[in-house]
Amino acid sequence: MRMWIYVVRRVALIVPIIIGVMTITFVLVNALGQTAQIQAAFGNPPVHGTIHTYDPTIPCSDITPGANGTCANPLYEKYAGILGLNKPIFDRSMTFQWGDVANFSTAVKATPLGGLIKGKPVASVLSWLLPYTIELALLSLAVILAVAIPLGNLSAVYRNRPVDQASRVMSFSGYALPAFLLGSLIVLGIILALGTGHFLYTPWCSTGETGLQEITGSWPSVQQFGSCGYAGGLATNYGYPGWLTAGVISHPTGFPTIDALIHGQGWLALDTILRMLLPAMIIAFGTIAILLRFVRNSMLEVMNLDFIRTARSKGVPESTVIRRHAGRNSMNVTITVLGLLFAFFLGGFPVIEDVFSLNGVGLIITYSVQSSGGGYDFGLIFGSVLLFTFLVVAANLIVDILYAYLDPRVRLG
Amino acid sequence: MESSSPPPPSEPRGARRRAWAAQIDSWKRTWYLLRQNILALVGIAIILGLVVMALYAATLPLPWNNLTNYCANSPLPGCVHFCTYTSGPPPGPNCYKVNSQFPAFVPPTLSLSGAGALPLGSIALLPSSQYVHNTWDGLLRGADWSLIISVSIVVAGAMIGLILGGIAGFFGGTVDEVLMRIVDIFLSIPQLLFVIVVVAVFTTFAVPGLPGIGSRVFLLIIAFIVVWWPFYTRLVRGQVLVTREQKYIEAARASGAGRGRLIFRHILPNSMYPVFIQMSLDVGTIPLLIGALSYLGFNLFGVSTGNSFPEWGSLSAFSLLQFNAVLSSCSVGTCVFPWWQIFFPGLMLFLFAISVNFFADGLRDSLDPRLRR
Repeated sequence: MRMWIYVVRRVALIVPIIIGVMTITFVLVNALGQTAQIQAAFGNPPVHGTIHTYDPTIPCSDITPGANGTCANPLYEKYAGILGLNKPIFDRSMTFQWGDVANFSTAVKATPLGGLIKGKPVASVLSWLLPYTIELALLSLAVILAVAIPLGNLSAVYRNRPVDQASRVMSFSGYALPAFLLGSLIVLGIILALGTGHFLYTPWCSTGETGLQEITGSWPSVQQFGSCGYAGGLATNYGYPGWLTAGVISHPTGFPTIDALIHGQGWLALDTILRMLLPAMIIAFGTIAILLRFVRNSMLEVMNLDFIRTARSKGVPESTVIRRHAGRNSMNVTITVLGLLFAFFLGGFPVIEDVFSLNGVGLIITYSVQSSGGGYDFGLIFGSVLLFTFLVVAANLIVDILYAYLDPRVRLG
Repeated sequence: MESSSPPPPSEPRGARRRAWAAQIDSWKRTWYLLRQNILALVGIAIILGLVVMALYAATLPLPWNNLTNYCANSPLPGCVHFCTYTSGPPPGPNCYKVNSQFPAFVPPTLSLSGAGALPLGSIALLPSSQYVHNTWDGLLRGADWSLIISVSIVVAGAMIGLILGGIAGFFGGTVDEVLMRIVDIFLSIPQLLFVIVVVAVFTTFAVPGLPGIGSRVFLLIIAFIVVWWPFYTRLVRGQVLVTREQKYIEAARASGAGRGRLIFRHILPNSMYPVFIQMSLDVGTIPLLIGALSYLGFNLFGVSTGNSFPEWGSLSAFSLLQFNAVLSSCSVGTCVFPWWQIFFPGLMLFLFAISVNFFADGLRDSLDPRLRR
């Protein structure tokens, strides 16, 4: 099949996939029932005169003393209107599903990110947080690549020797260690080891900060920001400078490191990277097994092929055979896995972001369905599902095309 | 003797026996290759140990649903009251020195049953009366639940994947196209989000005849299967596409084998090995996922506050969460760090996941001819 026909066909197939995923999500949310949906999104019914329920109809005497019959519940009317429950089911599904695309459905939860996201369009909320996740994902991938490719080649060459076994034990340990446990214990260990005193004197914080403040959060903490040498922290902005609204929305690009550099804050840019380094290493430790296995196995496959024997018999030095002949030819699979891993990473790292209090989409996805702090946020659920689905489908497509491009033997179709 | 009984007369004489002999030979070969791999053997040993542990635990009179306030009617045997002090000599047994900021670390004095000895069979009684479940009970019962939950999810997912993937790969065309687009949809759903929403939405779900917690676990298993089967379907389909082009399939078709026989007798058994490997990998992942979800604060098993569900992932996560909750109030210097309640379930999670990984990796190395040298 010709390349462009294949690409057009695959792009067209994205549409039914997204519709399908959104429909499944809607069916699930709709299964809650109307009053339960309101309850889930807005919490317990507020006291409103004598009304303490979200039921659609209530005795009229609750509204006007002495009246009889049943009346519409004003609480129900109000909240059902916000969620669009009083519309026909098709309209409602459209409101839920496509409100995010059109950028008009708003996040209702107050709790996360200091109330910053309440009432803001879902697309904007995700666009504030996605750059943080992209930076963390890229940093993690860099760590993974730097370790997995040399180690994978090495363990393929020295198959079933101590190097191979050690790399396997290392990578599987990372996979098998729960990230929440490893991350929490590291944070706890740092707190226990360093104490709670403000004695970490870094170039950007000469007055000192605590170990906990240094390793958690995407930015220096609110209290520390002012005393850490940053000129121009605004009291109206929690002590953060004007380009960093509430320590979440950074201007103009949204990427924390790049923005800090743009505003001439070299130390702050370095600080954002350092704050992501430990989480990135934990993420890399947890996922390196996936890539390492592919690198090793595809290297093993390539090493068995005839052209390697030819190269050796020509007298090419073994290191060149491994590096140039085998190494490069085993890269196809590696790139495929890397692309899929990156798409998976962009779905966010809920656990790591929670442990290290980082900003990111993973946390917002869990916030959107967490019963604590206000219940469901339907706009955020649909928005994040849409984002995640699109990322996965797009990554699959790009990886397939890249794979065919790198390996002409692969037939598309 | 059962094995020497003659084959049923309807079968061609010797055909079945020879087929079995070949199968057994191939198993022997796999076992021979697997034995070369020390890590795979370690994995098998750990898996067997965990299975024995689960079987042993199933015979014990431990609570199946939640580990409740074990020491409420203290002192029960094994309920250790910690005492903390800040300076001077220890005022009594089980007293640990705390400083003004941090919880005390109880040194590991491993003892499974000894009264007064710490810590595995004992319970920390803290000022906040948290961490009151018996770690040892949790570990044992957790073996049951963790194995039941993960094995049933993986087996059911693989069965669905084998059937649908076999159909899609064998028939091709429209069937394949439709099935694979459905698979694409389910693959693109954010997995954890889906599980959370299902468990949270169907709170009143009940299976007739099962106790409340059974229905809850059943729902969790169903939710995981829904996000798990597409991986297997895609895997099996790819494998079937390769297998069905082999010469021996052509030969079977030429000798008049029907569709059913071709699929279930020839194609699927020969497409199985990646499925086995994937299954053994996934079995270890599920308790880790349950642990991560529990850590994020999702009450998957619907246990009431203060109780813990005896499953390794959730035990470890809940203990960690409870500890994090009291850590801030530890500045008074009265807390003990209940590390064993976090560490031992975590260790079981780790052992389970790493052993199945070792096993699967060894299996892959011995089954995939392309990786041999």
